[in-house]
Amino acid sequence: MLKIEDLHVEVDGKPILKGINLEIEAGQVHAIMGPNGSGKSTLAYVLAGKDGYEVTKGRVLYKGQDLLEMAPELRAAEGLFLGFQYPVAIPGVSNIYFLKAAVNAIRKHRGEDPLDAIDFMKLSKEKAALVQLPDELTKRSVNDGFSGGEKKRNEIFQMAMLEPSLAVLDETDSGLDIDALKVVAEGVNALRGPDRAMLVITHYQRLLDHIVPDVVHVLIDGQIVRTGDKGLAMQLEKEGYAGVRNALQP
Amino acid sequence: MTNTNRQTLLGSLPTSFDKGPDWLRALRGRAAETLREHGLPTKRTEAWRFTPVRSVVDAEFSREEEGVPSLASPLPDGVTARSLRDVLRSEPELLDGRLDLGGAPTHFAALNTALFDDGLWIDVPAGNVVEAPIELALAITKSAGRGVVYSRVLVTVGDDAELTLVETYAGEEGGQLTNSVVEVDLGCNAKMSHVRVHENAGFQVGRVDVRQAADSAYRSTVVTLGGALLRFDVRCLLQGKGAECQLDGAYLIDGDDHVDHHTVVEHQASHCRSEQTYRGIASGKGTAVFDGIVIVHRGAQKTEAHQENRNLLLSDMATIHTKPHLEIDADDVICSHGATVGSLDQDQLFYLRTRGIPEPLANAMLTYAFLESIVDRVIHEPTRARMREALLTRIPHAEDIRGVT
Ligand SMILES: Nc1ncnc2c1ncn2[C@@H]1O[C@H](COP(=O)(O)OP(=O)(O)O)[C@@H](O)[C@H]1O
Ligand SMILES: [Mg+2]
Repeated sequence: MLKIEDLHVEVDGKPILKGINLEIEAGQVHAIMGPNGSGKSTLAYVLAGKDGYEVTKGRVLYKGQDLLEMAPELRAAEGLFLGFQYPVAIPGVSNIYFLKAAVNAIRKHRGEDPLDAIDFMKLSKEKAALVQLPDELTKRSVNDGFSGGEKKRNEIFQMAMLEPSLAVLDETDSGLDIDALKVVAEGVNALRGPDRAMLVITHYQRLLDHIVPDVVHVLIDGQIVRTGDKGLAMQLEKEGYAGVRNALQP
Repeated sequence: MTNTNRQTLLGSLPTSFDKGPDWLRALRGRAAETLREHGLPTKRTEAWRFTPVRSVVDAEFSREEEGVPSLASPLPDGVTARSLRDVLRSEPELLDGRLDLGGAPTHFAALNTALFDDGLWIDVPAGNVVEAPIELALAITKSAGRGVVYSRVLVTVGDDAELTLVETYAGEEGGQLTNSVVEVDLGCNAKMSHVRVHENAGFQVGRVDVRQAADSAYRSTVVTLGGALLRFDVRCLLQGKGAECQLDGAYLIDGDDHVDHHTVVEHQASHCRSEQTYRGIASGKGTAVFDGIVIVHRGAQKTEAHQENRNLLLSDMATIHTKPHLEIDADDVICSHGATVGSLDQDQLFYLRTRGIPEPLANAMLTYAFLESIVDRVIHEPTRARMREALLTRIPHAEDIRGVT
């Protein structure tokens, strides 16, 4: 599904990612853990196609295509989804109308007919219920005046509507209380399936109690320093990143 | 009837005024005097610095007699709409002191005062709350030559009365010049919502002068879509304690348009509130100007005044001038002002695109939303719908939005 090979990325001439290798297969959930500033969001942004991130070396294959050559909307249309760590507010653009544009743009790319208003409303009601997003929020401007938790739920709501093949979730857990975390995790788990893959970026282990990963990577200073199973997350929880870092010292 | 004699605007001023009541002759005389002394504005006139009126000042026009806006809606009960010419003939005393509400006129307003022939007086008597909007339309049709139209409207809203007025000024592109003056007199606790739309207005110089008594509320929403040369001033005099005004505006320009909005809010009494939000989009080779001033007079304590102008510059060839400013002569006030000129927010754009929305549509959605937030305040539903539709037609790629709303 996704193959990252020796990926080097600079921002403003400063190296941030320093040779990432990562392969995710359909049906898998991978987790990336790492301290603040290690480059987790940078990786997520590069995968989604944000401007300002210069790939100086390496490549990324998504479903066999050169991902880095594709415009962000094409990546989305091909089934890539990014759940933002800090979703931006867009006053004046209603959530529901924006999502309809998104759903239908993606359907068009797939050669499908647009959803009519009634089918769309039915789908959005069902998916909003999944993440317990109040009806009122679906009608408001995108993320405008949303609390931190509401924004994260809105991300998962959008993901559920767009049914991506590869979801990259950037710290979807941060700022959530335990109940909200469970709701979000349920939304994510509902989407798991043999044809889908996920890359769950998190700072804390607790999300991984609810979204159990197949593979865990530890990202420090732009490099993946450890890869293991979910036991690695437990170890990190006990020893902290310092412990992992120390263990790496020769 | 069209007078085929063509003259410059100043050249058309008579040397004496011999029709109408004494006070009107004196008023017109003073206006003419001011004009003879100071002339029409030039580039060096501060408030007209960015308004290229020279082509208008130097040109010769024939006088058109179609300056009376027509009523485009039934007249609600309790409201009268009379011809200014008729009233000036039959009961001139009713208008004494009401045709110079904004003080001594200068420049184009002085020209209008000296030369208007007829106009409309809309009156809502005290205590009359009029729900149905009154719609006025002034459509300038192209005449053979280059014509000038003087349009004059007086609106009086009595104590505790309420009115919604919707004005539409549309014109064919061409050399026509419309010089319009609307005067509004709001009694104590009177309320007025005033929607004003300019669509491809050609050459237009217009102003609205509002005089507000205590606890009155005036709310203006101006939407300007294109214009070869449009200069539009709104001036509110908050004379009575507790008066409020809310001035909102949206402008969208393209091609060689020049659109120029000025506001003046004078806080003359205490406990008044004013709020202004103007937003504009400039593309093509157009120029848009916003100049707003809030003057807080001495003794106008507990004033609250806010002013904001935000602009989107969508082309390298377009120009935006913005100048919100404050003059404060009282100490117990809350005032704010700000202006921005920028392009679309890249983070918002990226967010939309990561959801699969193609870049042109994402651009259109954000551009539309930027102005729609003002158009949304147009209180008259049919006009609001028409303006939304016009935005969709004028914003590049916004046609695609229609498919998803
Ligand atoms: N747009 C940017 N401009 C400058 N520096 C950036 C930018 N984005 C990220 N960085 C820097 O890159 C490093 C990694 O940041 P980030 O990917 O956000 O880390 P994480 O998500 O793991 O906390 C940090 O040192 C951060 O300061
Ligand atoms: Mg981050």
